Amino acid sequence: MPIIHKFDYLKPKSLSEALTVLAQSKNAAILAGGTDLVDMIKENVAQPDLVVDIKGLDELNQIKFENDTLFIGAGATFSDLIESKIIKEKYPVIFEVAKTVASVGIRNRATVVGNICSAVPCMDSGPLLIAYDATVQLAGQKGERKIPAAEWFIAPRKTALQKGEIVTGVSLPYPKVKHAGCWVKLGRYTGEDLAQVNLLILALSDGTFRISFGAVVPIPVRAKKIEKLLNGQTITPSLIEKAKQLIEEEIKPITDVRATKEYRIHMAKVMFERGLDAAIRRLNGNGQAYGTSMI
Amino acid sequence: MEENKYIGKSTVRIDGKAKVSGAAEFIDDLDFGPDLLYAAIVESKFAHAIINKIDTSEAENIPGVVKIVTGKDFPFRFGLYMHDRFIFAQDRVRFVGEQIGAVIARDAATALKAAKLVRVDYTELPAILNVEQALAKDANLIHPELRHYKHVPWFFPKSDTNIAHLRKVRKGDVEKAFKESDFIFEDTYTVPRYAHCAIEVHGAVGLYDNSDRLTVWTASQSPYTQRNLFAEALAPLGLSHKDIRVITPFIGGGFGGKAGVSMEILGAALATAVKGRPVKVLWSRAQEFYNTYQRQGLTARIKVGLKKDGTIIAMDNILNWDAGAYVEYGANVVNAAGLSASGPYNIPNVSIDSVCVYTNLPPGGPYRGFGYSEFLFGLESHLNEIAKKMKIDPIQLRRKNAIREGDILNYGGKMNANGLIEAIDKVEKEIEWGKKETSSDPNKAIGKGIALFWKAPAMPPNASSSAFLKFNEDGSINILISGMEIGQGLLTVMAQIAAEVLTVPPEKIRVETPDTDRNPYEWQTVGSHVTWGCGRAVESAAIDAREQIFDIVERALGKDRKSLYLENESVKSKTDNNFSLKLCDFIIAGIQKPDGSYRGGPILGRGMFMPEFTSALSDPETSQGGHPNVHYTVGASAVKIEVDKQTGKVKIPKVVLAVDVGKALNPDLINGQITGGLLQGIATVLYEDMRFNNKGKLINPNFTDYKIPTSMDIPDEIVPIIIEVPQPDGPSGARGVGEHTMIPCAPMIANAVDDALGIRIKSMPITAEKIALSVKHS
Amino acid sequence: MRQEIKFKLSGEAIALEVNPNEVLLEVLRDRLGAKSPKCGCDKGDCGTCTVMINGKTVRSCLVLAIEVDGQEVVTLEGLMDSGLTPLQKSFIEHNSFQCGFCAPGMILSATELLAKNQKPNKHEIQEALSGNLCRCTGYTPIIDAIEAITK
Repeated sequence: MPIIHKFDYLKPKSLSEALTVLAQSKNAAILAGGTDLVDMIKENVAQPDLVVDIKGLDELNQIKFENDTLFIGAGATFSDLIESKIIKEKYPVIFEVAKTVASVGIRNRATVVGNICSAVPCMDSGPLLIAYDATVQLAGQKGERKIPAAEWFIAPRKTALQKGEIVTGVSLPYPKVKHAGCWVKLGRYTGEDLAQVNLLILALSDGTFRISFGAVVPIPVRAKKIEKLLNGQTITPSLIEKAKQLIEEEIKPITDVRATKEYRIHMAKVMFERGLDAAIRRLNGNGQAYGTSMI
Repeated sequence: MEENKYIGKSTVRIDGKAKVSGAAEFIDDLDFGPDLLYAAIVESKFAHAIINKIDTSEAENIPGVVKIVTGKDFPFRFGLYMHDRFIFAQDRVRFVGEQIGAVIARDAATALKAAKLVRVDYTELPAILNVEQALAKDANLIHPELRHYKHVPWFFPKSDTNIAHLRKVRKGDVEKAFKESDFIFEDTYTVPRYAHCAIEVHGAVGLYDNSDRLTVWTASQSPYTQRNLFAEALAPLGLSHKDIRVITPFIGGGFGGKAGVSMEILGAALATAVKGRPVKVLWSRAQEFYNTYQRQGLTARIKVGLKKDGTIIAMDNILNWDAGAYVEYGANVVNAAGLSASGPYNIPNVSIDSVCVYTNLPPGGPYRGFGYSEFLFGLESHLNEIAKKMKIDPIQLRRKNAIREGDILNYGGKMNANGLIEAIDKVEKEIEWGKKETSSDPNKAIGKGIALFWKAPAMPPNASSSAFLKFNEDGSINILISGMEIGQGLLTVMAQIAAEVLTVPPEKIRVETPDTDRNPYEWQTVGSHVTWGCGRAVESAAIDAREQIFDIVERALGKDRKSLYLENESVKSKTDNNFSLKLCDFIIAGIQKPDGSYRGGPILGRGMFMPEFTSALSDPETSQGGHPNVHYTVGASAVKIEVDKQTGKVKIPKVVLAVDVGKALNPDLINGQITGGLLQGIATVLYEDMRFNNKGKLINPNFTDYKIPTSMDIPDEIVPIIIEVPQPDGPSGARGVGEHTMIPCAPMIANAVDDALGIRIKSMPITAEKIALSVKHS
Repeated sequence: MRQEIKFKLSGEAIALEVNPNEVLLEVLRDRLGAKSPKCGCDKGDCGTCTVMINGKTVRSCLVLAIEVDGQEVVTLEGLMDSGLTPLQKSFIEHNSFQCGFCAPGMILSATELLAKNQKPNKHEIQEALSGNLCRCTGYTPIIDAIEAITK
């Protein structure tokens, strides 16, 4: 089906050129992989007057690890993440997340940054970034801006992005102590699906935990009450039970065509328990390989 | 018996190269030149409403719009078995998405844009969204004109109700038999609507040229039925059958969804509005979901009476079908299911009411299995419940009651020869029935389930087939048929059948998709009957060609035709070992006589098949007296599942399906039907269903939320078992198998879930969510 | 605003004026006659529109044609410079496809997999194909054909 909406297209050669045209346009959209944007234009959900393709900006296409921080550029695709050596070595849970995003042909185009800019509740990148205390890096004509991932998400499909700004990438500081993680995503089957519940757990060797939920909340959240309960404690079955009781206070699931609220709550508890166990096992060196589904 | 050379062999598909090279052309791949026009559809926003006014003025002013048509341009009824449809809605719309009008434009974008500007003024009516509402006393009538609708003689609509057809089966004395029963079990099972999800959407291109000839290219399983319905519907415009030509290139999956006539009528009708120019209508994926046939929903109340020893002596089933807004095809699903809803069992006393109920949901229609998947879910689930309550092994219960050759069918005819018991025995052994297995994971339980199945082709008694077979100069062959290659491998199997008769290898035979101007008649490619029916026509065309060959050799060379036979593409003689004449030397050119003159000429075989023993005439109150079904294909299937008690997720380590195909003409292609049909069936129970909101709008018309399985959602191991109890009237003894591989899946999984968890789920689908929450609440 | 783009299509240099709102799938099919990529869902779910850009499979229904300026696009047609590939031959041998509508996309996905991983295991094959929906075959004969040439 053809796109009815008409727009202009520009592929800037430098970030400053991109920022200049963005500042001049009324309703520009940034195009990276296009897997969300082109679909939204087809459906008339997005009606940009100008599409700015940032795939020509080499500085945004990088995945690099410097100063104990991972930078994922706005052009980096999920396939890039899966194939990245740095990620396999230092952030294997990102590999685990990326492997559950859509399918190869989408992952070859879709980007983490595009995912958090679309900011639909079922996105997979949100819980990842907030668990890592990531920073969203923006460039605008007035200069650069850094926003903690937790403040980036404002509401479904609404972010802290301001007019004229481009997200250049996200930075994920490497936790200071030994750690391991687990990503658990609920789909309706093994193949590609949008999450009905997703969660990421990082278990750190200092006895602390970072736990984030997506899809069962309008915007991804850190499960602060659960973290507080678990931090520094010996993880016992009764403590896990207490933590599971808190889940309903941390999430706000809805019933929709993909799952009922009841099932989402039920699964959030099951997934939390399994994810926690898997993360701790991985931390202790006896866990299952990253990429193994826990459900 | 002589060994077959080509029949029974796993020949590679003759269309394999076309399909892996991209050479295979589908409807949207055909080029129609720069004057091709595109149509976009104006659709109903409401499930039920009166159309007060349609204002096209704004849309007409869009540059590039060529023509806008609405119901008033085509006030013609049509339908396959019942004329209850119009090409475009007239005064009233009956489902969300129903076509009200069309905008024809130079390009698709303009047509879509302008279609949005057509203003329709409605008065909304109460929508009837389920059978309970439709059957309620004083329910609003969806078709107040029902009494006037033309329909086939074996339909029994109830005027002034929402019942479009009631198929009643009465065999024996059910009331008495229930009184004599030691046990009676009754329950209700429900099945939602499903979508075929062929990966290719529906499309049609029509060209009504200036010589008054209408050509319609369609993605269809039914070119001749389409031609017939186009001719019927458009007869007021002066079109006759000879003026209409339907061309069907390869189609990207059918599964029943591309049978009959659904949106293709638009291609034919719109062409007449823009004479001289081709016009294309191509469905979007969403339209594919909400405005083609859907598999009908079913509420089945099943009541079974048994003796202490497990003999079933009575069955009383009421099947209420949510058949949708138009039932011109779907009512025959209701009919076929009604005749067979006792399953593959020998039950002396049977009462079945199969009720076709109009609702304000999209039209129901044929879907692989044609009603059998739906009633088997309830029946085969219920038999397991009975077995559990009576403490009988579920396989023993089935074996005890399984139908055998000569047993009396629900309509009084006799059951054909079949390998049902063999199928039961083989799947029982293969799945290691009775061997309890436990998972190493404490969260998981392993269960096994079985279901039997049967199905007959549902077709009019005069659904016939024909074939032409033409030899070429080099001895190669073109076969012309109108059976459709819908993926099942029809072209290949037809080549194998001809190859066997004529000793010409299949790779030297070309069979292509139909063009009604060139290829002879076939009713439709539905009901798992074309291998059987079209196969007989091809076989007879090949025999006709062979007889012509022998005739020429006899006339030209004086050989006794009784001594002649074919071998390795040559004519040979049983009485003269030295005689051998290559086919390529004479099948076009003829045989030269000593005087220089020729005998013979182009060999052109003709074959036809009509199932002369069938009849749809029977007593409407009992269904006794006719012979509506040509034969039943039967089998058994069993599965082992591993279910996670917490998540409800089901994995399938192993599934077995045994089917009696009569004769496997190409075992590899049958295995393909088994592998593909099983996954399609498993998906209906584990993942899929159509969801409507309270206004009757489909809310998952896409693959994002209607989850058809991916390559990661397949069973670990599939064991296909082919059983061959010949069908005497089939080509080499073959009978159909296309649908049967799908229909046992839902109850088989439901039974395995019950075996694993002790939980009986009586409504499809049985999703992970439903299982997990059932476990939680149990 | 119409712009000229230059790209390679299955090895052939193409120069073409396109509007920014033209989708790659439609340009390939309707303007350049490469009909092997098909439209199945129009929103990236089904994989029938798969083509390769710079060796990687993409959903051409979600790519603007203007984006491929300067890139190398390969459709199924472009794999067959020296006839059918061993993979395609294996698909024929295994009767892998039924209706064949998903075949072009499936073959490109499998080709990409084999370029990266000559000895994929069954799970890796399933994963690589999981974005290409097939309704006919149950996938098994497709997976079998790939396994047959990688063993």
